[in-house]
Amino acid sequence: MSVSTQTFDYVADLVRTTSAIQLGPGKEYLVESRLAPLARARGLVGPTAVDTYVREVRRGLDRGELTRVVEALTTNETSWFRDNAPFAALRSQVLPAVRGRHPGPLRIWSAACSTGQEPYSIAMTLLDAGEPHVSVLATDLSTPVLAQARAGEYSQLEMNRGMPAPVLVRHFTRAGAGWAVKEEVRRLVTFTQHNLLHPPPTGPFDVVFLRNVLIYFDAATKRDILTRVRRAMRPGAFLILGAAESMVGIDDAWERVAVTGGSVYRAPGGTP
Amino acid sequence: MRALVIDDSRAMRRIVSRQLEGLGFTVDEAGDGAQALELLEAGAGHHLACVDWNMPVMDGLAFVKAVRARPEWRDVTLMMVTTESEHDQIVRALAAGAHEYLIKPFTPDALRGKLELLGLVPAGEIA
Amino acid sequence: MTETMGDHVVAIAQDLFSAMVDGEPGHLAEGSGHPSPLSEPVRAWVDIRGERPLRTLVATGRDTADRITRALLDLEPREDVATADVRDALGEIANVIGGNVKGLLPEHPALSLPVVVFGGSAPDGVPLWTRSLQWHDEALVVSMWDVPVNQEEYL
Repeated sequence: MSVSTQTFDYVADLVRTTSAIQLGPGKEYLVESRLAPLARARGLVGPTAVDTYVREVRRGLDRGELTRVVEALTTNETSWFRDNAPFAALRSQVLPAVRGRHPGPLRIWSAACSTGQEPYSIAMTLLDAGEPHVSVLATDLSTPVLAQARAGEYSQLEMNRGMPAPVLVRHFTRAGAGWAVKEEVRRLVTFTQHNLLHPPPTGPFDVVFLRNVLIYFDAATKRDILTRVRRAMRPGAFLILGAAESMVGIDDAWERVAVTGGSVYRAPGGTP
Repeated sequence: MRALVIDDSRAMRRIVSRQLEGLGFTVDEAGDGAQALELLEAGAGHHLACVDWNMPVMDGLAFVKAVRARPEWRDVTLMMVTTESEHDQIVRALAAGAHEYLIKPFTPDALRGKLELLGLVPAGEIA
Repeated sequence: MTETMGDHVVAIAQDLFSAMVDGEPGHLAEGSGHPSPLSEPVRAWVDIRGERPLRTLVATGRDTADRITRALLDLEPREDVATADVRDALGEIANVIGGNVKGLLPEHPALSLPVVVFGGSAPDGVPLWTRSLQWHDEALVVSMWDVPVNQEEYL
């Protein structure tokens, strides 16, 4: 099951001209796997779903959809400290603003946690910033992926993506042929299954990571999700989206925070 | 930017050099730490050295220590590229002055990712 | 050395091939049953110089070795695969697999340089474990042995 030559050539061209990233020959499987969820969101399934989807996108010349295609191919699905800027922002801008505002641990929600790299990266960032009084709730729609995340073990190949060596030796131990997150990090993170279309988990959260998952929904659904998420957040709490994502045209209730290379917003009502 | 690829395996030198050239580096190769020091001494000005650990004559750890002992080479970024993957080995390499550590086997985008972390290559993930 | 080490080694070999040979996962799988004799075998090994010296051996047929070399070294389609290239490529394959095996052991023993032998017969004795793999439906066998007494020179 793989994409046609026309599909691949078009997508590779699109990606190269918009992002300078090269999709060389042999990456057909990547185009197939990364675009299948976007095709599915349009009701397209089966072996030719991606070909059909791309044909539709080309015909429609929908800017938003073209951006989604490029994002789906140029963002690394499972990486430690993905895009880096949000974690730098967490340490240097978010943490000082939320620390000590209320008794009890800082509550963070990683709302599309996949195999766990994001919530563990959040916990490591805060521990390294000297803040251990933290509770990270990590949710995802998929239970098998949560089981893997809970186990906290990763292969050598997975550890090579985005993990600075000093952080590796500080927070991981060897486990068989791979690596395991140390207990001091794992104990800060709880994993639960959650569907973003349903009511949010019990907050209130100080920070929410909602990265690279809104791209799969239409504008109205995005708005609904953001409304539900906001209800679970403290006034002035921080929302962190994927690097190329924005609130523009979707939900203007949030205040944009200037962060280079990041997409960070604050819920209304907090003290500045 | 100029890089030094140091490995006693011709295959691995070829693989790493190719990937670095693809990222815009001019690459020099050495088969052991001593040859690599000679290349650094020749003064073309290297920004990066990718260093295997186990090599004859002078191994990677000794090379790292030798480079870090020379103030004129303080801006050379040192990345180990090796199969040595025990926790203690990585700690030793970092303590000796290596900036990063890439465990074999690695994908081209893992190498690129490490260079992005080091600021030697602009951020922009390869799919 | 236990069977579970063989399982780890399969995972290591799969990571190696997906990362550096094929560029994508899924082409190196466990075969079933015992390996059939290889025609024109190429054998590459590294020795782990611990208290109990251990040899990690990678064996395949010459044609397969040529193809692996071509993929690992990213040779142009028209370039011939020289014997020296095969020696380098298979030696590095053995080095990466053996090096990662070393990481599974409690001590930090040294690793020998890889040795690559073309032709000849299988080693004497019984391996500690064997895994028969299929790379694009071609046979690749990884096995672990006690280092033969008469080959301590390689250490």
